[in-house]
Amino acid sequence: MKLLTANTGSYPKIGSSPEKQQHREAYARWERGELTDEEFERIQREVIREVIEEQVKAGLDMVTDGQIRWVDPISHFTRRLGGCRLNGLLRYFDTNFYFRQPVIEDKPVVMEPVARAEYIIAKRLSPVTVKQVITGPYTLAKLSINKAGVDFHTLLKWFAEVVAQEIHALSRLGRCFIQIDEPAILKHPEELNLFEEAINEICAEKRRSKIYLYTYFGDVSPFLDAFEKLPVDGVGLDFTYSPKLASILAQRGFRKEAVGLGLIDGRNTRLESSREVLPLLKRALSGVEADILYLNPSCGLEFLPREVAFQKLRRMVEIARMARQKIL
Amino acid sequence: MRLKLPLLPTTAVGSFPKPAPLVKARKKGARKNLERLEREATEKWIRLQEEIGLDVLVDGEFYRGDMVAFFAELLEGFKMGGLVRSYGNRYYRKPIIVGEVRYRGPITVKWWKFAQSLTQKPVKGVLTGPYTMMDWSFNEYYPDREQACLSLAKELRKEVRNLSRAGAKIIQIDEPALSARPEELPMATRALKILTQGIDAYFICHICYGAFEFIYPQMLHLPVHNFDLEMSNSNLDLVELFRRHPFTKDLSFGVIDVHSHVVESVEQVKERIQKALEVLNPRQLWIDPDCGLKTRTEEEAVAKLRTMVEATKQVRATLT
Repeated sequence: MKLLTANTGSYPKIGSSPEKQQHREAYARWERGELTDEEFERIQREVIREVIEEQVKAGLDMVTDGQIRWVDPISHFTRRLGGCRLNGLLRYFDTNFYFRQPVIEDKPVVMEPVARAEYIIAKRLSPVTVKQVITGPYTLAKLSINKAGVDFHTLLKWFAEVVAQEIHALSRLGRCFIQIDEPAILKHPEELNLFEEAINEICAEKRRSKIYLYTYFGDVSPFLDAFEKLPVDGVGLDFTYSPKLASILAQRGFRKEAVGLGLIDGRNTRLESSREVLPLLKRALSGVEADILYLNPSCGLEFLPREVAFQKLRRMVEIARMARQKIL
Repeated sequence: MRLKLPLLPTTAVGSFPKPAPLVKARKKGARKNLERLEREATEKWIRLQEEIGLDVLVDGEFYRGDMVAFFAELLEGFKMGGLVRSYGNRYYRKPIIVGEVRYRGPITVKWWKFAQSLTQKPVKGVLTGPYTMMDWSFNEYYPDREQACLSLAKELRKEVRNLSRAGAKIIQIDEPALSARPEELPMATRALKILTQGIDAYFICHICYGAFEFIYPQMLHLPVHNFDLEMSNSNLDLVELFRRHPFTKDLSFGVIDVHSHVVESVEQVKERIQKALEVLNPRQLWIDPDCGLKTRTEEEAVAKLRTMVEATKQVRATLT
């Protein structure tokens, strides 16, 4: 078993110091019409370069583009779809973050996939492996308002097609690491069979890519059986919502090609110590069988101030180094 | 607590738009000038609320920035954190609990006293509740959310007691975070018990951005007399919820959308009130906007409140 460190998705767009406020200032100027789309895009790329550099500096083996261009994980994939318009703000799960809720009035039409272009840019800027995040079909469907006059099952199939096209476009570039985020399923175990159908459909487009299913903001332990059987290459687990998860994994075992261990809390500024993380990691690993393990934050890091996000990653890399010596 | 109020009392939720000179002074951090401007704005809005005809007034929260950071800065145990994005291009400083939370002394009492000294009408005491203070802060000190929440409740109780001693008969606890984790409702209920038990006041709990269907009807166990809910922003589907399970407390019914520039028509607001009366007894019902009006312009805020009061008067006339 190989233990690597990875980011779980987003990274804060701005920091506290004036020179780290570039994105916020550019966004405001772009909104006021003082910057063209091209000028704003150039600055976004500059910020993507910066946040990749920070992740590399922290010592990560696998980075993301920080989701710098994402306004939120839902509208990012729906704003350009035909058949969809954006409604008001809604709280994103139990975070202090809000997203624009899509209203689906007709079968969504993909104008142009969004993930492929992001991946190409990030890959060009990063000296280490890049992982591309895509919000999963179930979460997109669940957080949308369905005004299309169809049942949820149909809506979900529509979104599975949308995500399948994203994966298809990405995977034509060669082998990509693709993280599918599905936090919404943890609240709806009763819809697991619909969820499985959607995940099966999107996995059919992966070619040589690796698909990692990540869930967070809820207790994943009731889903372990189902996730183990899914045709995804890896599963990312949030330990912060299930205090017993390490023991459950130790008891029941868990087999997957890749497993992401979300032992670092992406939602709180408190820096974990190796003394608290290593015993949990050890317990979890007594049950987990995987070729690759990722130590990663429990969720994206945009819920933290930029400076803390960096410290978290640095601490995580230190803990991984100790784990390689002491546990593996 | 018996209150002498007309049928369908009208009130505001808490904040009003800050005048431009005040916004400027806050940015500059000009201490002395700032307090003068805050007092002027408070006084102006007490007059305005009286003139518009509200029955229960608020101080307008001109002295506050963020509803959590304001309390965090005046309690011991907090430090201010870095910038975190809330949506779009909006960022705020999220406080961090770094030590044992302790009440240092009155936080809002001086402002409540000042506002109440300007009017014969009752002024609400308004404070951010312990659950929201916990949920909207980082926690580096307490071992879990519950201990952070209950400790906050114990300390904030002192503010509630001071408000009550100063003479506040109506006290509103703002808990916008309350519906985010339905499984934690028992924790929030315990916290509000600590906050309010044995204090003689009429308690209102303000919740917004809610997914109430997940905490209703269990939320009726919260130890308050009145729930202040946003109804116009939720397409009023709560009325259907109350049809299925009767609402057993008083309700401050949000009939004004605070996120929209458009001023509602009197007819529109009357319809909303009448819709509420399909499932509630008139004695249970208070009328107010969905939330604080600080994001609107002064003209919009005044126009919206006038419409609300006029619509309420017309409905009231049909009831008596």
